[in-house]
Amino acid sequence: MTRQEIEQKLTKDYGRFIEVMPTEFPEAIVYIAKEKYVEFCKYLHDDPDLAFDFLFQLGGVHYPNDRFEVVVCLSSHKHQHEMTFKVKLPHENPEINTLINIWHVADFFELEMMELFGIKVVDHPHPRPLLLYEGWDYGYPLRKGWTGPDFIPLPDKSTSAE
Amino acid sequence: MGIIEKVPAYIERVPGGGIVITSVEDVLNWSSASSQWYLLFGLACCAIEMMATGASRYDFDRLGMIFRASPRQADLMMVCGTVTHKMGTRVKLLYEQMAEPRYVLAMGGCASSGGPFYYDCYSVLKGVDKIIPVDVYIPGCPPRPESLMQGTLKMREVIKNQKLRDFAGDKPMA
Repeated sequence: MTRQEIEQKLTKDYGRFIEVMPTEFPEAIVYIAKEKYVEFCKYLHDDPDLAFDFLFQLGGVHYPNDRFEVVVCLSSHKHQHEMTFKVKLPHENPEINTLINIWHVADFFELEMMELFGIKVVDHPHPRPLLLYEGWDYGYPLRKGWTGPDFIPLPDKSTSAE
Repeated sequence: MGIIEKVPAYIERVPGGGIVITSVEDVLNWSSASSQWYLLFGLACCAIEMMATGASRYDFDRLGMIFRASPRQADLMMVCGTVTHKMGTRVKLLYEQMAEPRYVLAMGGCASSGGPFYYDCYSVLKGVDKIIPVDVYIPGCPPRPESLMQGTLKMREVIKNQKLRDFAGDKPMA
């Protein structure tokens, strides 16, 4: 399916909960309401016309003092098309459900997101530290404005150019 | 004439042969410098260059350099790649498992100083010399095999210039 066909189908089935973003890329980009997140994913995976059977990226984005976003990129081996969808989360206590039951590969992506962004995956079957070293107690390093031990921020080019 | 060309020595000829007089220090350093068995330590893209150096086109073996998979059998640790904080503790453990005399060669910008990960990075150690003593640094990102071989020749100079009392415990080996 082309981007326009995917956008039309999603709008027809989930029009009240999604917001289609204008894009020049060949794949569709939509925002989905948080309360329909898991249901929407099941629909994307099971619908025979969409058949998104492969999740190749799941990550977080931090907008300081505003919100978090979870970005999920999907593709379909059957139809050879791709799409991206995003979920907006509040800045305080960001929480989301797991996608392991739909795409099992989401497991490590979610562990990574929990550890580096502090976005809590509430029903993850085995939440545990994955990447940071033992005894890490310095918060979530991929949030904007994070500092920690041995962290050297990039000098401001406008002042150090002399 | 073998050893005569490699180390300062005096040879006294007697009928049917000769007597070589030299110092233990020179012979030990010469043998140690001529067969540096190195610990395989590929951590990032520098490891690809190290593998290329070990393969047939550049052929590390002709310098007496043979890779070892165990720190117990290695004389030289070549840190090839980006050392993260998490890997740093393992690097230190492996260094401590090596038998003395032991030497460390930091290959590439990441192992020397953090390289491209110096600024704005939460995970990378800013140079492997923060946890273990380094003898030779090789610049480059990654260095070509020629640079790595030059670095090992520099390492030979380091070994040949060391003193025997360094082994005896008067001061800790670098």
